[in-house]
Amino acid sequence: MKFLISLAFKNLTRYKRRTIITALAIAIGIAMYIFIDAMLMGAEYESVRNLKWYETASARILDDEYWEERYQYPLDLNISDPDPILERLEAEGITASKRIVFTGDMILSRAEFGEDGNIPVRVTAIDPSRDFDVFHFGDTLIEGRFLEEDEEAILIGSWFAEDIGASVGNWVTIITRGNGGFYEAIDLQIVGILNCPNPNVNRTLIMMPIKTADYYLAMDGAATEINIRLPDQAEVEQEIATIQGLLNGNGITVMSWETMAKDYLAIAEAKRGGTGMILFLIFIIAAVGISNTMLMAIFERIRELGMMRSLGMSDMKIRIAFMLEAAGIGLIGSTIGVIIGVIANYWIINVGIDFGFLMREMDIGYRIQSIFRGTWNPGTIAVAFFAGILISTVVAYLPTNRALKMDIPSCLRHQ
Amino acid sequence: MISIDQAVRNYQAGETVVRALRGVSLDIEQGEFISIAGPSGSGKTTLLNLIGCIDALDGGEITINGEAVSSMNKKSKTDFRRINLGFIFQTYNLIPVLTAYENVSFVLSLLDLPEQEVRERTMGLLKEVGLEGMEHRRPSRLSGGQQQRVAIARALIKNPQVVLADEPTANLDSETGEEILKLMKEMNRRHHTTFIFSTHDKMVMEYAERLVMLHDGQIISDERRQ
Repeated sequence: MKFLISLAFKNLTRYKRRTIITALAIAIGIAMYIFIDAMLMGAEYESVRNLKWYETASARILDDEYWEERYQYPLDLNISDPDPILERLEAEGITASKRIVFTGDMILSRAEFGEDGNIPVRVTAIDPSRDFDVFHFGDTLIEGRFLEEDEEAILIGSWFAEDIGASVGNWVTIITRGNGGFYEAIDLQIVGILNCPNPNVNRTLIMMPIKTADYYLAMDGAATEINIRLPDQAEVEQEIATIQGLLNGNGITVMSWETMAKDYLAIAEAKRGGTGMILFLIFIIAAVGISNTMLMAIFERIRELGMMRSLGMSDMKIRIAFMLEAAGIGLIGSTIGVIIGVIANYWIINVGIDFGFLMREMDIGYRIQSIFRGTWNPGTIAVAFFAGILISTVVAYLPTNRALKMDIPSCLRHQ
Repeated sequence: MISIDQAVRNYQAGETVVRALRGVSLDIEQGEFISIAGPSGSGKTTLLNLIGCIDALDGGEITINGEAVSSMNKKSKTDFRRINLGFIFQTYNLIPVLTAYENVSFVLSLLDLPEQEVRERTMGLLKEVGLEGMEHRRPSRLSGGQQQRVAIARALIKNPQVVLADEPTANLDSETGEEILKLMKEMNRRHHTTFIFSTHDKMVMEYAERLVMLHDGQIISDERRQ
């Protein structure tokens, strides 16, 4: 065995160019695998975080029938008395805040915006004193100020502001239907612009004080939802069961962010499948490259192989010798690949790639506004390292076997 | 002793059957220095390959020291070659990445001998073939004659019963070729190993103690010489 290892090592140094080229092919495959995996994992992690921080919170309390009708934003399917629920949750140390979500038309006047127009909008009425304990809008203000408790004012997302040409101080009118179906027109002044890292939110965000909405929509203290923030490490389903127990039914239900973001998670899962396919193809290309190189390497040494066989070296030992050589190439390639991959990871984690130009124009499912950052995944790095060695070794088996099927005189005559 | 009885070997070349050996019978005693000679295509390499257990008969039988090697399976033939046979090739066939020492000792490593014994035997034989001081040279730093000396040492290192050499001097100039033949003869005398070598070179035939002439796959003469 010692001789076979020594022979494999010497052959690696003998065919320097071949060793370097094949090792580089493996290294590129592995580095790409590590890098893409880190980027996608990071994007997914950040997307989920931004989803919870700016869209769904950890969990939400709703009227039993609200979820079925959610696309209608029904004001009558509400939590009629949210404050006692909030108090009970607070007593249990659970952070929560109520909201009213409704839809309407935003009327833009020529005087304020240069031309008349209207745009369908979704408005979220928040409790300015508590909402930012649940959601993370607190550090997203880029212009103006936050909302006060009882004023006729709104905050809007920066992309939405860009799209309608709005700035702080502009007035808009929102025409909507209140609880009971009556029409209502609300004049609201833009007091602040938020730059939300979640592009879906930043593209449509309009926030107003809940007290103002309550008055205009005749909600009579009701809210359409109560959002809950749970600690990051919390077992969400377990916490939900506890909260459900606390609420004791009463026609309301608690939903986890995973239930609410089912569509997003399904798309993310599909993306993972697609990404897995891409990574698999990268490995196949690397494997074919290695196999081809090993095939050439073995075929140019057929005579040597014939000599070894005629001297009584068993096929198994010859196979081991060539596979050890391939494993050596795999080891070099994997090591270089991991080093390049780790350096690339360091960059993608700390600097990231700015996809802002893409995210601004279209929704590709990720809840990231501009910079995609990666995340460390030691499991992937380890798997890629060993897979590089394993694939390299396994693909050397086939050409070696093919060469061993030739009879010895043909091997010795081989040019 | 090697006994070849009515050896037949045919090759398929496209749609044509080439009858390489047509019922060759030959007995070779232990320690003989025998040349299989004949023109190109006469069947000498085929006969060497069959004795060397690296080719299979289509008819007849070959026994070496009572063992019917022609009916052995692949693994038994490999084991038999590893222990009993040495090979010298026209193009030396040394492993380029190994030194002269390693090219020779490699054969012993297949026999799992202790390292000390491998070292002693290898160094001793390299000295015998005149390569003392060149043990650590790779084939690329050795002349053709020196490379063939390494090949002779490699063939003899395991003390085989038979050494088979296919045109061992064909790639060498006549002076070096003669040196190699003298060395082979000396090794044959010292180690009492049977040497069977093929050639079509008259000068090489002169060195043989027994000359078997082949023509079109048949023995046309078998001459013992002093």
